[in-house]
Amino acid sequence: MLVPEFVPAIFASWYIPVIYAGILVAFIGLIGIAIEKRDIHILILTDIVGLAMLIVVAAVGTDLAEALILPGLVVELAEIMAISEILISREMRKSDKSTSLFPLPLVLDMEIMKTAPNFLALVLLAFGAFLTGFTGGAVAGAGILLYIISRKSRGLPIAVIEGIGGISGIAWCIWIIGFVLLFIAPELWLLSLFMAACGLVLKVSSKLGLIGTMMREEFKRE
Amino acid sequence: MIDLFDLNIFLYSGIILAILGSIATVAGPGVKDPIVRTLNTEVAAIGVSLILLTYNHTLALLTFVATTVVITLILLRAITRLEEMEAYP
Repeated sequence: MLVPEFVPAIFASWYIPVIYAGILVAFIGLIGIAIEKRDIHILILTDIVGLAMLIVVAAVGTDLAEALILPGLVVELAEIMAISEILISREMRKSDKSTSLFPLPLVLDMEIMKTAPNFLALVLLAFGAFLTGFTGGAVAGAGILLYIISRKSRGLPIAVIEGIGGISGIAWCIWIIGFVLLFIAPELWLLSLFMAACGLVLKVSSKLGLIGTMMREEFKRE
Repeated sequence: MIDLFDLNIFLYSGIILAILGSIATVAGPGVKDPIVRTLNTEVAAIGVSLILLTYNHTLALLTFVATTVVITLILLRAITRLEEMEAYP
C-alpha cells in the first residue's frame, strides 16, 4: 500500500480496522432501512448511514479527510432537512390537517429580541466580513438570521428574495473562478485566495439569509 | 497497568461505541418509539466523535457536534409534527 510520508505510522496502522468498522456500521444501518416500513424511522436510520460515511472518510487521516468531512456534513444536514419537510407536507396533504410550525414550548417575545438585534447583527456581520471564508460566512449569516427573525415587520417583496438568490449565484461564480485561477496561474495566488474567500463569505451568508427569509414567509402565512 | 495515553484505547472505544450505537438504533429496546430511536443515534454519534478526536480532525469534530444538535432538533420537530397529525398511531 502506498502511504505518503507525512501520514503518521499509527494512522496508517488504523486504516484497515476503521474501514472495516465503517463498512460494518453502514451494513447495520442499511439492514435497518431494509426491514423498516415507516418513513420517519427510515429517515432516522439514514443518520446512521451518514455516520458510517464519516467513519470511512476519517480513516484517510490527513487534512484531505477534514476537507471532505465538512461538505459531507453540510450535505447530510440539508438532505435530512429537505426530506423531513417533504414527509410532513405529504402527511398534511393526505390527512387534510395542519399542525403548528414549532411544536416546542418556544416563546420568542423577549425584551432583548426587540432592542438588541440591530447592534448584535451589525457586530456579527462586521466580524464575519473580517474572518472571510466558510467560518466568516456562517458568522455573518447568523447575524442576518437573527436580524430577520427578530424584526417585527414581515413580508418581503419577492424581488428581494430573488435578489438574495442572485447575489448567491454571483458569489458562487467568484469562488469557482478564484479556485480555477489557483491552478492555472499559481503566481496570482493572493488574488485567487481573496476571490475564493470573499465569494464563499457572500455565498454562505446569503444562503443563511435566504433560510431566514423563507422562515419568515412561513410565519407570515401562519 | 493501562497507559491512558495509548491512542488505541480511544480509537477502539470509539469504534465499539459506533457499532453498539448503530445496533441499538436498529434493534435496541424500545425502538418502536421514534423518539427513543433518535436518542439512540446519539450513542453512535459519540463513537464517531471519539474517532474524529483520535485522528485530530478538530474542525470536522466541531462541525460534527454542531450538525448533530441541529439534526436531532429537526428530527424531533418532524416526529412531533407527524404525531400531532396522528400519522403514526
